Amino acid sequence: MQTMADAREHPGHWSTGIAGLICLCVLAVAFLWHISVGAKEIPFAVIVEALFTYNRDQFDHIVVHEIRLPRALMAVFVGAGLAVAGALMQGVTRNPLADPGLLGLMAGATFAVVVASLFSVPDFSMIPLIAAAGALIAAVFVWLVASAVRGGATPMSMVLAGAAMSAFLGALTTALLLIDQQSFEQLRVWMTGTLTVRPRGIALWSYGWLCVGLLIALAIARQVTTLAMGDETATGLGVNIRRLRIAVLSAVVLLTAASVSLVGPMGFVGLVTPHFVRLIVGFDYRWVIPGSALAGAVFLLLTDIVARTVLAPVEISTGLVTAFIGAPVLVWLVKTRL
Amino acid sequence: MSLPKSSRAQVDDRSFSLALPRGGVLLLLALGVASVGATLLSVTVGSFPVSATDALLTLVRGAPSEMAETVVMQFRLPRALVAVVAGGLLAGSGAILQNVARNPLADPSLVGVSQGASVAVVTLIVMFPGMPYELRPAAAILGALAAALIIQLSSNRDSGSATLRFILTGVAVAAFLSAVTGAMLTYGDVDRAVSAMTWLAGSLATVSWDDVWLLSLFVLTVMPALCWASRPLRALRMGREIAISLGASFQRDRLLLVLLAVLLAAVAVSTVGPVGFVGLIAPHLARMLARTGPGLHLFLSMAIGGLLLACADLLGRGLFEPIQIPAGLVTALLGAPFFAYLLISRRGT
Repeated sequence: MQTMADAREHPGHWSTGIAGLICLCVLAVAFLWHISVGAKEIPFAVIVEALFTYNRDQFDHIVVHEIRLPRALMAVFVGAGLAVAGALMQGVTRNPLADPGLLGLMAGATFAVVVASLFSVPDFSMIPLIAAAGALIAAVFVWLVASAVRGGATPMSMVLAGAAMSAFLGALTTALLLIDQQSFEQLRVWMTGTLTVRPRGIALWSYGWLCVGLLIALAIARQVTTLAMGDETATGLGVNIRRLRIAVLSAVVLLTAASVSLVGPMGFVGLVTPHFVRLIVGFDYRWVIPGSALAGAVFLLLTDIVARTVLAPVEISTGLVTAFIGAPVLVWLVKTRL
Repeated sequence: MSLPKSSRAQVDDRSFSLALPRGGVLLLLALGVASVGATLLSVTVGSFPVSATDALLTLVRGAPSEMAETVVMQFRLPRALVAVVAGGLLAGSGAILQNVARNPLADPSLVGVSQGASVAVVTLIVMFPGMPYELRPAAAILGALAAALIIQLSSNRDSGSATLRFILTGVAVAAFLSAVTGAMLTYGDVDRAVSAMTWLAGSLATVSWDDVWLLSLFVLTVMPALCWASRPLRALRMGREIAISLGASFQRDRLLLVLLAVLLAAVAVSTVGPVGFVGLIAPHLARMLARTGPGLHLFLSMAIGGLLLACADLLGRGLFEPIQIPAGLVTALLGAPFFAYLLISRRGT
């Protein structure tokens, strides 16, 4: 019922359908490109073969299946999750600088994961939830500090409160890792944001929570648009603001926590992607959110390609590449949007 | 803030460098004594126990044992001295930046200057390991200057709420420079990367007498500049229009002061690493403890900064023995909540 109404409301739904198709094609191309890049030169035909008719006896097939495919999938899911988290935060807080990394949620999740590994939590299913608790606490603290600033929770006060939170938790995390050398060895690479293999249990649960978060986001996308126009408008249109805020917060926290459990703190994906998407599709979050998911996936696939090729044979952390791209965008946003 | 404002304010407005408010001078003396105390305390703390009397004996006459001699003279004393001096430099840099930018949140590590110095030093450590150690400060100065230039160019001064915008631009530039540093660490040889990482955490574990001499020489060199700084600081603190109407050559003074701030921070960073928040906290503490003109305030900030870093290092060494927490982490744990407090209590917008 609702989908039909949506289709009627949106006059250009044919063209958006085509745009969606194009986006999916771009995603497929980026995905295949990502798989084809690597230390070992593998012909394109072999890759397609490995994907569709997997043969366990061929070494190239094993490389594609066991190493490259999981990494590409990770990039797709984490990119989509972080971009959607950023889009939700930017919509609900009406803050062009909102991003799970900048507002301290990522530092909270990272800290929680490090604490969990310090106490060697054996149950992998708990890791994403513990990370979620960390992200939630950090988010609440940042919100409280930012609201206490004179002038209220403006974009600037939020980002600065987030920066203070990140600095504090970052120092605490490093101190904990120094105390426990063994965890330090295990988590050193993860801490910089890399798409490397995580223990299977953590990975499965993280993917599950990412899917839950993405579904929540899609379900509330319509209401986020009204909230982005202002609290009064949203109330006037019959949106229960309180309930919507809670739904958004839980989606954002789940997406952030699952991403951090998988790849570590990967900054700026959630900041950059929604801005790019809004340039194309406008301010209707029914399109911004799926668009951000696609664009975020493509963005992380491409940055990971850069991370693996630019200094080959050495790999640099993907999180560093996203920061390379994201920090200048942040400077630009501060200069033009505030 | 604790002192009554009315009586002090008059002294403040009239005082030149010779007529110093008594409270401030007494405080400066007290801080000096406290720094000496912290140095002595830090000489006794560690995995090899040295009693206070033994430590004093070592310093004055000669060590009771060879081990005490080595531990105190080779490791702990230079470390304590470097902490005091480097903390002072960082705090001085922060005090100048806060006055020039008229921004209570300015700090060399928050506006990206320390990160600029870090990029340069890590590049030197990782890519050119053969270079002599003395080049580090020079590289740090170059990197810090470049970062300051980037921030100056990218922050938009025309529109309102410039205070927060300046810091926000600094946060972004710092994030970018940290990414560059991180990439540098992955590029280089593992051993060199590890040594660079210890330095990056703001650890004083590796300092030696070379650093003490270098820092002392530097402090002696910039002392005239620091004494000069009090006059233009007083004018610039009033803002551009008033400063110009008071006859200050605004552009030149501003440039020189920023250069001085960058220089102080860069040299400190080149020895102890990018220790954060000292430059933020110390000037505020100085203002809370005594109402003075900007000249004495600068020196008070420096004294507090030195004490602060010495205490941070002491805490980092003592809390989780035998594990050493780098001083930079301790200052971040203290400084980040302080930053949030400043953000909340900021007057006006």
